[in-house]
Amino acid sequence: MSSPAIVTEHLTKTYGANRGIRDINLTINQGEIFGFLGPNGAGKSTTMRTLLGFMRPTSGSARIFGHDIVTESVAIRHHVGNLPGEFALEDRMTGRQMLKLHADLRGVTDLSYAEELAERLQADLDRPTRRLSRGNKQKIGIIIALFHRPRLVMLDEPTSGLDPLMQETCLDLLLEARQRGQTVFISSHILPEIERVADRIGIIREGELIAVEHTHELTSRTFRHVRIGFADPITSDIITRFHTLDGVDRFDTIEERSLAFQAHGDINEVVRLAARYDLTMLDIERPSLEEMFMRYYNSDSPREATA
Amino acid sequence: MTDSTIAHPGFAAARGISAIDMLATYVRHLLWRHSRGVIFWTIGVTVYSALMILSFPAFEESGSLDVSQYPEAVREAFNLESLSTIEPFLSSQLFNFLPLVLMFIPITAFAGAIVGAEERGALDVLFGTPLPRPVYVIAYWVAVATLMLLMLLTLGIGSWIAAVAIDVDLGLGESLLASLNVFPITMAAGSIGLALSAAVRVRGVAIGVPVALMFLMYLLDILGKLVDELEPFRNLSFFKAYGDALQDGMPWGGAAVLLVIAVALGALAIPLFQRRDIYA
Repeated sequence: MSSPAIVTEHLTKTYGANRGIRDINLTINQGEIFGFLGPNGAGKSTTMRTLLGFMRPTSGSARIFGHDIVTESVAIRHHVGNLPGEFALEDRMTGRQMLKLHADLRGVTDLSYAEELAERLQADLDRPTRRLSRGNKQKIGIIIALFHRPRLVMLDEPTSGLDPLMQETCLDLLLEARQRGQTVFISSHILPEIERVADRIGIIREGELIAVEHTHELTSRTFRHVRIGFADPITSDIITRFHTLDGVDRFDTIEERSLAFQAHGDINEVVRLAARYDLTMLDIERPSLEEMFMRYYNSDSPREATA
Repeated sequence: MTDSTIAHPGFAAARGISAIDMLATYVRHLLWRHSRGVIFWTIGVTVYSALMILSFPAFEESGSLDVSQYPEAVREAFNLESLSTIEPFLSSQLFNFLPLVLMFIPITAFAGAIVGAEERGALDVLFGTPLPRPVYVIAYWVAVATLMLLMLLTLGIGSWIAAVAIDVDLGLGESLLASLNVFPITMAAGSIGLALSAAVRVRGVAIGVPVALMFLMYLLDILGKLVDELEPFRNLSFFKAYGDALQDGMPWGGAAVLLVIAVALGALAIPLFQRRDIYA
């Protein structure tokens, strides 16, 4: 088995008031997509920026492909493509000029993959970046991170500012990168997009890595908000039937013609039961990240963060 | 397949790139990026100098260049013993204060290099590449120095052409030396800004401090000439080292001292930037 792409040991970075990361122990394997999930301000960007050498750790250590992040940052950056969460491009340069500069700084001579990426993301490479919208700048940033096919791709909120179609394209590109053997470290506060691509998910909250799970394990633990509207008044028998289904709890609303509750695990049983009635509405929603944290961690102690 | 890339059909893999190659690449980029502003400065200052030279005969004929009525202290302070020849005239009208004008080019460029770029969020994308921080600092210094030299060479040649055009006795050598003498002092001022750019979190500080210091040093130099008790303090001023190349000859010693200061402050920026956390 190949050595890990990223290993952190008690990685800590503190700055400002209550900001930073504490005691992060994490191993990311080569060839996997690792999703880093957490609300805004949880420490996702700080972790990535510390790994890339933008900030020096307060304590602890980390290695990327065996290179120390403090003393061998330049060697690491040869292997990494990076999309920062917040960034500015050179105003007067076009996307193509930016790409050429980055290619020259990396010694890359063939920009054919960059052209392919630009076509798939529908990025305008010929307009000065100051005239580009937020989403179009984001596309240039994604291309800069991917065009040289680095061993490790680190993307901080990559779909931010993209329209839904381009979000899908972006996630497809990451799946293709994994197929080629590249490692992808992606941060987001949006659970569904991480679920879609990540092999494993790390959850960070208030600077602490509180869990690392395989994606399917985390998904199975999540719940859905279910709201059902009935054409006819609800009887106590109907309530009892839903109440006794496995994984159904927390009846938030019981009204004359509607029910709202939370369903854990397999949602099919709920749908099958609901299908027996004449419905005016069936609404199934994912929980917000914060809700998921609350439910998930109120019942569980923090898990071992390393795989 | 190289160490840093994943094999892919049709993909010409990355080759290794040395720090020297990266330095050359980034210097070229900076020359392009800052060239437009420097071209405007070059045109402005060269045209101003040419106009001053072209107007010299008119001033000479009108008799308004007679400074004998000026107080001696003033003449001494501004090196105005006589304006009857082009050298003192051009010194008084341009070169005596030119560093206070042109210093803004390196100071603003260097302030923008680190703290300014950090404020804009431009460092995060750039330092995703393998560009080492010391190479970045050196590239900035080299690029700005190159642009300053090109501008000052143009000024020197442009001034000489203007002098030749109206048959004023100004040699190419003295015109070039007078112009190039502005280089060490402006780069020293700029390098204060570069060191501060690496050390502070507010761009305005990296601009304001060197600008204020330069005006204070100019004042100190003038006062040192006027007040005997203050004369020793002129040694603290860059302007004593700058001297007056047109009237007194090229101050090689002073220029060398200022260059050493400029290089030392530029070098100081490297460890300061190396230790700096780059914030988003």
